[in-house]
Amino acid sequence: MTSKMWVTMGPQHPFSHGLWTLKVRVDGEVITDATPIIGYLHRGWEKECEHRTYPQIIPMADRLCYSASMTWSHLYVMAVEEGLDLEVPERAQYLRVVADEICRIQSHLMWLAAMGTDLGNLTVFLWSLREREIFLDLFVKLCGQRLTTNYPRIGGVRNDMPYLFERDCMRAVERFEKKLWDIIALMDDSAIFLSRMQGVGHVTRKEAANLGLTGPTMRGCGVDFDVRRDDPYEVYDLFDFEVPVSQDGDAYGRYAVRIEEMFQSCEIIRQAMAGMPDGPVRVKAPRNVPAGKHFARLEDPRGEGLMYLISDGTDRPYRLKVRSPIFVNVSASKRLVLGARMADVPAVMGTIDMCLGETDR
Amino acid sequence: MALKYLDKYPKNVALRGWILKPFFTTFKNLVKTTIRRPVTILYPYEKEWIPDNYRGRPGLVFEKCIGCGICARICPTTCIELVDIEDEKMGAVKRPQVNLGRCMMCGYCAEYCPVDAMTVTPDYELAAFTREELIYDPYRLKWENTTKGMEVKMEEHLISNLEKGILDQPSAFYELDRPKLIGEKCISCNRCAKTCPVDAIEMVVVGENEKGKPIKHPKIDESKCVFCEQCIIICPKDALEINEVL
Repeated sequence: MTSKMWVTMGPQHPFSHGLWTLKVRVDGEVITDATPIIGYLHRGWEKECEHRTYPQIIPMADRLCYSASMTWSHLYVMAVEEGLDLEVPERAQYLRVVADEICRIQSHLMWLAAMGTDLGNLTVFLWSLREREIFLDLFVKLCGQRLTTNYPRIGGVRNDMPYLFERDCMRAVERFEKKLWDIIALMDDSAIFLSRMQGVGHVTRKEAANLGLTGPTMRGCGVDFDVRRDDPYEVYDLFDFEVPVSQDGDAYGRYAVRIEEMFQSCEIIRQAMAGMPDGPVRVKAPRNVPAGKHFARLEDPRGEGLMYLISDGTDRPYRLKVRSPIFVNVSASKRLVLGARMADVPAVMGTIDMCLGETDR
Repeated sequence: MALKYLDKYPKNVALRGWILKPFFTTFKNLVKTTIRRPVTILYPYEKEWIPDNYRGRPGLVFEKCIGCGICARICPTTCIELVDIEDEKMGAVKRPQVNLGRCMMCGYCAEYCPVDAMTVTPDYELAAFTREELIYDPYRLKWENTTKGMEVKMEEHLISNLEKGILDQPSAFYELDRPKLIGEKCISCNRCAKTCPVDAIEMVVVGENEKGKPIKHPKIDESKCVFCEQCIIICPKDALEINEVL
């Protein structure tokens, strides 16, 4: 006798990082249907922005996602600069790239910590959070805060690099590249981890593109696309880096891509620090954005972020639309968990690195 | 495409040292942690090092403040408001009061302050029992030991200067932007001169109307003005407008 029933996982469930629900229909152990339910964290972010002037939105954009605050505020100022047709000084662009990559590393380490606890390995959690502290210390020195960086400004960045920041950055990167192998050893040497990751949540290359997946989730399925390389913003076209792509298409492939991205980010930081030019870091931006429609996109740690700005010539935006990568990725959760076992759900959904702040906005 | 780094990790268990490698890692960590000093600190007694530009709660240098209200207008959460206070030395003045229950420590008040009176402070221990305790009046907001890094300066470069190749003249909007008068709209009401916090506006007679009364127009002393936009906001006929320098 088989019994089919709906199991509600979340909003308070160890596997759901943040407040969201995954309703799954199980036939015995096998999942036959799934529905994600989001909206518990809706704050009316886009509407709030319509009542604020352009500089006032930058600290709000930090609050979209706590572990990728730098990239979101960066994306916002890129959208406004697109509207103003403003040329940012080269040093400011380099500083933004460095801060972006630090943000990417610490966001991926946060994901690795969550992934470790999902699969029952608490040492991974402790070790990766320990490495993350080094990069948060860099953020404190550069921007003045650990998480809500509030660093980019319309027309540049808040302040120049502090004294000896370059040395600290190089030391952190060098140390991290050695230490990350220890965490990899914890994960890849463990037969339990491999057997829980390999072969679950399999998505083919074509399906990944059709579902609209972006970021490491998509590259783990074999689609070779990265906004940093294929539509370069800031000074990314000057750097020599590889976009990691895994052909596996399962949870392990997405894990491997994220680990690889951390190494590549270290590489980019090193190149950016070597080629950092002198000069001003901020230009004076006009307070009113001319009427029009502007958009900007960048590679968030979680996928492709896009902001669409409609301005009407005043000092406040008429409309600001956020295209959040996780909002699209979580809509593919039915396809990801279909046919998997109940116990595979944390492993599969853990690899898309949920962040509800940007999903519900 | 192959992975550049992760593929270097040997798939063969024997090459990784099988069970000896975890043993080695554990003992290495054991020896290291025994010899080296502890990485944890006894929190309430010792505090972690924080840089000068750390954005804690806003602080106020009472003597420098001119009560212009730029901080109150730029604050994204509108947690700053100007209150009238009666000071012993300075008389009746306006000073900012911050509701720290709403403050999100963005540091904009320190960045936009034209006289460096608002600063960022390294004070982050702000827990209180009631919400009223979190409203810091100007006296409680005072921060005496201000160092140089706490006064966040806004160093903006003009695009026109960069095009000319001038790279060493950073400025800020309050040094350049000035209110501009549209003469025919002005009704000589004198409100802008009364509200100006730095007394930069003087009403000068420019002519006589048909009844024989003098027509007065505001004259702005550009060296005193900090471009707080108070006069632009208070003008009943929108006779003053923003003149941006780019």
